[in-house]
Amino acid sequence: MTMKVLSGNYAQSYAAQLARVQVISAYPITPQTSIVEKIADFVASGDLNAQYVKVESEHSALQVCISAAALGARTYTATSSQGLLLMHELLHWASGVRAPIVMGVVNRAVAPPWNIGADHADTMSQRDTGWIQFYAESNQEVLDTVLEAFRLAEHPDIRLPVMVTEDAFYLSHTVEPVDVPEATLVDRFLPPREPHAILVPGEATRLGSFTGPDHYVDFRKQLADAIERVPKLLGKIEEEYRALTGRSHGGALPTYRVDGADAVLVTMGTATTTARGVVDEMRAAGHKVGLAKLRLFRPFPDDEIRRLATQVGRIGVVDRSYTFGRMGPAATEVSAALYSGGARPPLSSFLAGIGGRDITPHEVRRMYETLLEGRTPTTHWEDLEEEVTVHG
Amino acid sequence: MIEIRFHGRGGQGGVVASELLAQAAFLDGKIPQSFPFFGVERRGAPVTAYSRIDDRPIALRTSITAPHVVVVLDPGLLATERVTDGLKPGGLLLVNTTHAPETLAAPGGVRRAAVDATHIALAHGLGTAMLPIVNTAVLGALARATEVVSLEALSRAVEQFVPARPEENRLAARDGYLGVRTVDGTAGPSVPLPTSPRVAGPSLPEGPMASLSSERIHTAAWRTFTPVIHLDRCTKCNFCWKFCPDDAIEFDAVGFPKLRLEYCKGCGICAAECPPKTIEMVAEV
Ligand code: SF4
Ligand code: SF4
Repeated sequence: MTMKVLSGNYAQSYAAQLARVQVISAYPITPQTSIVEKIADFVASGDLNAQYVKVESEHSALQVCISAAALGARTYTATSSQGLLLMHELLHWASGVRAPIVMGVVNRAVAPPWNIGADHADTMSQRDTGWIQFYAESNQEVLDTVLEAFRLAEHPDIRLPVMVTEDAFYLSHTVEPVDVPEATLVDRFLPPREPHAILVPGEATRLGSFTGPDHYVDFRKQLADAIERVPKLLGKIEEEYRALTGRSHGGALPTYRVDGADAVLVTMGTATTTARGVVDEMRAAGHKVGLAKLRLFRPFPDDEIRRLATQVGRIGVVDRSYTFGRMGPAATEVSAALYSGGARPPLSSFLAGIGGRDITPHEVRRMYETLLEGRTPTTHWEDLEEEVTVHG
Repeated sequence: MIEIRFHGRGGQGGVVASELLAQAAFLDGKIPQSFPFFGVERRGAPVTAYSRIDDRPIALRTSITAPHVVVVLDPGLLATERVTDGLKPGGLLLVNTTHAPETLAAPGGVRRAAVDATHIALAHGLGTAMLPIVNTAVLGALARATEVVSLEALSRAVEQFVPARPEENRLAARDGYLGVRTVDGTAGPSVPLPTSPRVAGPSLPEGPMASLSSERIHTAAWRTFTPVIHLDRCTKCNFCWKFCPDDAIEFDAVGFPKLRLEYCKGCGICAAECPPKTIEMVAEV
């Protein structure tokens, strides 16, 4: 075990190196750039034997990864915000041709106005592209999840691309101790990708060419079935990872002190850490509150949410972005999951941490109190209740 | 409600025919609905278009799988496309062909009609020998064989909506009307009613997309004209090879162009681009 003090971005880079990725293609964008810069260092120093393809845009970066993945290579890229939006067309291509790419995404607000702070609008607006989506809470979770993501992506039952996201600055530029597992250990967990090339040099093959209404739907259904198989497989992969490293991140919806809770918040990414602290503090003061972390957003963990609903009095979903004309995107999903479940506790959508706002213990406490007092607003913009001073 | 399905090739005017029919039916006081279905959007590729005509608003937005009438603008499609799929007993198969209607194979009970629309179109200078625009002549034939529209409404629709050569097109419609020959369902060879079995999902490649090479798709089935290269005047400039959209030209050992006929769709682009004009497009019989 080697502990290193690493940023979330470097956790992505080390994970890509440990995964022995063979082709990387990326385009720089704040706050992602240091991920691919570090990988470029690994390639330059010989610590990673890979082809690093420089391109003129994120759109091309993802195309390179799709082609390389179709040739059978293990591929990685990273991006953020506007860069992810520019990739939109090719996100569909990647999942459609079943390219097992792993991509690090630093969650950043989308323009306008220009803003580089943490916000989930970038990946939320790509939730329907057929990618598996993980939201990480710590740099350790970033590194471990990237390694698990390769196993998931390349599994013959799945063959889908995966995004492993981390909040801008709260993880991307935050350094904290991370256990970087030994390469030999990772090699046992993640052997080289099984040769599975769709494209073979010298053999004329079509990839994703015209398919009429007679068969198009069959390919869509194959993709739909594949993503449904993720939760079960994730459990097995995490179990294997735990056996080797002693760590597990608790599957799709890890919960904290939810037993008999009157109020539970569902959080994503770094808001979870702060909220966990508040739960301990409020529990100590006699309030029955708990927490659930939405770690896997696509596919959405319906079963876990329904199980949670049977144990708790009220649910608040904390979203770091807003679906215009609706509510928080995670809140929408949670409420959809509950509609066909047995228990339907009152549900609120809290919007907090938009555009790099801090989600403070004070705010989290207020959200719990709102729920405990029996007020369950449909949608509430928590940020607007707070005075902020921005330095610098 | 009458449902009509048109089978043509990209560039032949089948889609325009279905739209013109809609305009004509509207002038007759009917309520029409016409729309195309495109597969691969390439010149020469099979194209389907649909028309519905009724006295009331049409409460249906689907393709037509059980038509009363099937119109085939290119006789070559009879061999490659399942044009009579779903054709209703008592319905009509109308084909642009030089052959007699008695020779047309159709499911039992289906009336057959034949019109030499290519000849009519060329007589009125519509299109070229390689790509005659047969749609107005075929519509004239359809008006006579089915009475879904009057020749008068069709002529007015042509005058109002055909952008080029309206007068020639009107005359072509008239000649199609006069020239069509119809026989009843007992005449001619009978073929069983075809069905359209849908290939279910599991037979598709699992996981990744179709991995079928386009090399295995022989676009030659679309061809009605064949390029013939007269090598005596060929300068080996490679233009034909560069411009061929289907990669149907390769070179022999001494650098002369050579056709890969199984891929040549007969589009004539090579002939048009050849600087010394040494490629001739010859009609297939
Ligand atoms: S060889 Fe000539 S006619 Fe045939 S497909 Fe190519 S360009 Fe068209
Ligand atoms: S374009 Fe004409 S002259 Fe040039 S190579 Fe082809 S056939 Fe010969």
